[in-house]
Amino acid sequence: MPVLGIETSCDETAAAVVGEDRRVRSNLVLSQLVDHAPYGGVVPEIAARRHVDQIDSLVLKALSEAGLGFGDLDAVAATAGPGLIGGVMVGLMTAKAIAVVHRKPLIAVNHLEAHALTVRLTDDVPFPYLLLLVSGGHCQLLVVSGVGRYRRLGTTVDDALGEAFDKTAKLLGLGYPGGPAVEKAAAEGDPRRFSLPRPMLGRPGCDFSFSGLKTAVRTTVEALGEPTWQDVADLCAAFQAAAGDVVADRVVRAAADARQQHPDLRHLVVAGGVAANAFLRQRLEAVAETGGLTLVAPPPRLCTDNAAMVAWAGIERLRAGLLDDIAVAPRARWPLDADAAAGAKA
Amino acid sequence: MNILAFDTATAACSAAVMAGGRIVAHRFELREAGHAEHLMPMVEAVMEEAGLGYRDLDRIAVTVGPGTFTGLRIGLAAARGLAIAADIPVLGVSTLETLAATAFDMAMKSGATVIAAIDARRGEVYAQAFEADGNPASSPAVLSLADAAALAAGKDTVLVGTGATLLAPLIEAAGGTARCGEGPGLPDAGVLAEIAARRAIVPGVAPPAPLYLRAPDARLPATAPQRWPR
Repeated sequence: MPVLGIETSCDETAAAVVGEDRRVRSNLVLSQLVDHAPYGGVVPEIAARRHVDQIDSLVLKALSEAGLGFGDLDAVAATAGPGLIGGVMVGLMTAKAIAVVHRKPLIAVNHLEAHALTVRLTDDVPFPYLLLLVSGGHCQLLVVSGVGRYRRLGTTVDDALGEAFDKTAKLLGLGYPGGPAVEKAAAEGDPRRFSLPRPMLGRPGCDFSFSGLKTAVRTTVEALGEPTWQDVADLCAAFQAAAGDVVADRVVRAAADARQQHPDLRHLVVAGGVAANAFLRQRLEAVAETGGLTLVAPPPRLCTDNAAMVAWAGIERLRAGLLDDIAVAPRARWPLDADAAAGAKA
Repeated sequence: MNILAFDTATAACSAAVMAGGRIVAHRFELREAGHAEHLMPMVEAVMEEAGLGYRDLDRIAVTVGPGTFTGLRIGLAAARGLAIAADIPVLGVSTLETLAATAFDMAMKSGATVIAAIDARRGEVYAQAFEADGNPASSPAVLSLADAAALAAGKDTVLVGTGATLLAPLIEAAGGTARCGEGPGLPDAGVLAEIAARRAIVPGVAPPAPLYLRAPDARLPATAPQRWPR
């Protein structure tokens, strides 16, 4: 029962074929990093232009690597949001076209749901589980109690965690994307040399805030004048330690909150691009152990944006009978939980 | 020859099927937004009305631009998706040529120049000039209103497209005569199909890409984003 997945919501053009047996038959990602790096961030119009040039041939390649034709597919799944709308449209239109020609079900996948369900592709994790979703655009804690059933416990009130990494990297001249660069520099630094704030630490609720941390990094950089490599490394280590403390604190609270409704909660899952950060994984490992939870993190290549997760979300939705009409609209904003507060960051 | 043609390049959405040399199904609607939702149901409707399956098609025709960047990508992603799925070639036609094709009858009688022009905002138009016999007299370009009006070169001119009313007074002021073409001045898939029917398809050529005419609106930062590692 293979499903084709298409992902074009940010700066990766991706196509993949995944079977219901959880076999990833192909998983292709064309990164646009070199196109965006000179700008210090993703330029939406450049991203959209790359997607439309590449997605059709990438889909053919994904099928050919999987050893399948369009007719062998059981459904076509594409990210329909949230994300950079120009790119989302490209992937969704491609999926619609394939679906009408081959009379296959279309599944318009929420990109966040794809991240949220990836762990069920890679590991035997039953519902419910506590999910920390951390990426360049998102930072939230959710209880996942079924396909399409998400309850948000907390989210960021300003920057996403990946955004905070990117902005820190930018302030320090580490280039784009910032996450891997900050992590690498931090490995050579002393986290105790600079004292940075831990926003939200100890506060009730499970929300995040990272703008104060970012500001503190900026002030420190400015005070340093012309930072040396050791300054940069130490500051990265301090930033990462502070971010880790905040995330750990929020997760502990979220676990307590989630357990009230789900006493059987056993797993803490981390997903999204920032889940590729090894330091953060270590912190979460410790937090999970203390809280009697098992941490499960999909491998980094399935945490950063990819289409295998979209195909898998397609399989989960197909099983649940959650199909979409050919007129389905792409969505720039699309919170996972239907009752999310208006204006809150998706 | 069976052709499916559609256009989402500007403030309209249209689809048509040509079979046996005539248009057998056709839809056209004015539409500022929502092309991504409305295009495929419209395509399904014309295909059903024509009684054709996608693999009965010999070619797909799509407008490649100029137009709204998003609109171009919606049309091209759909066309290229249909092409790989049904294994049929896609033919890209410029929106300016599609617009101009509606004005040649009017221009032929007097040997007038045809200027197709699409309002590109910011005081500019996407424009191209054609001889009355259909041959292009300039390349598609994004031009100031003055430069676009100068394409008329003082000759009798038929203007077509949303830029027509912007250029007409300038051409008249320069001593030329300018008439506006009939209809809404927006590309139509029926006209597109007729152009596509006359065109040869070169096997093995890369599928058509958007004709944006403008670079992405992005500026490089003053200082290089990456200073480390040194």
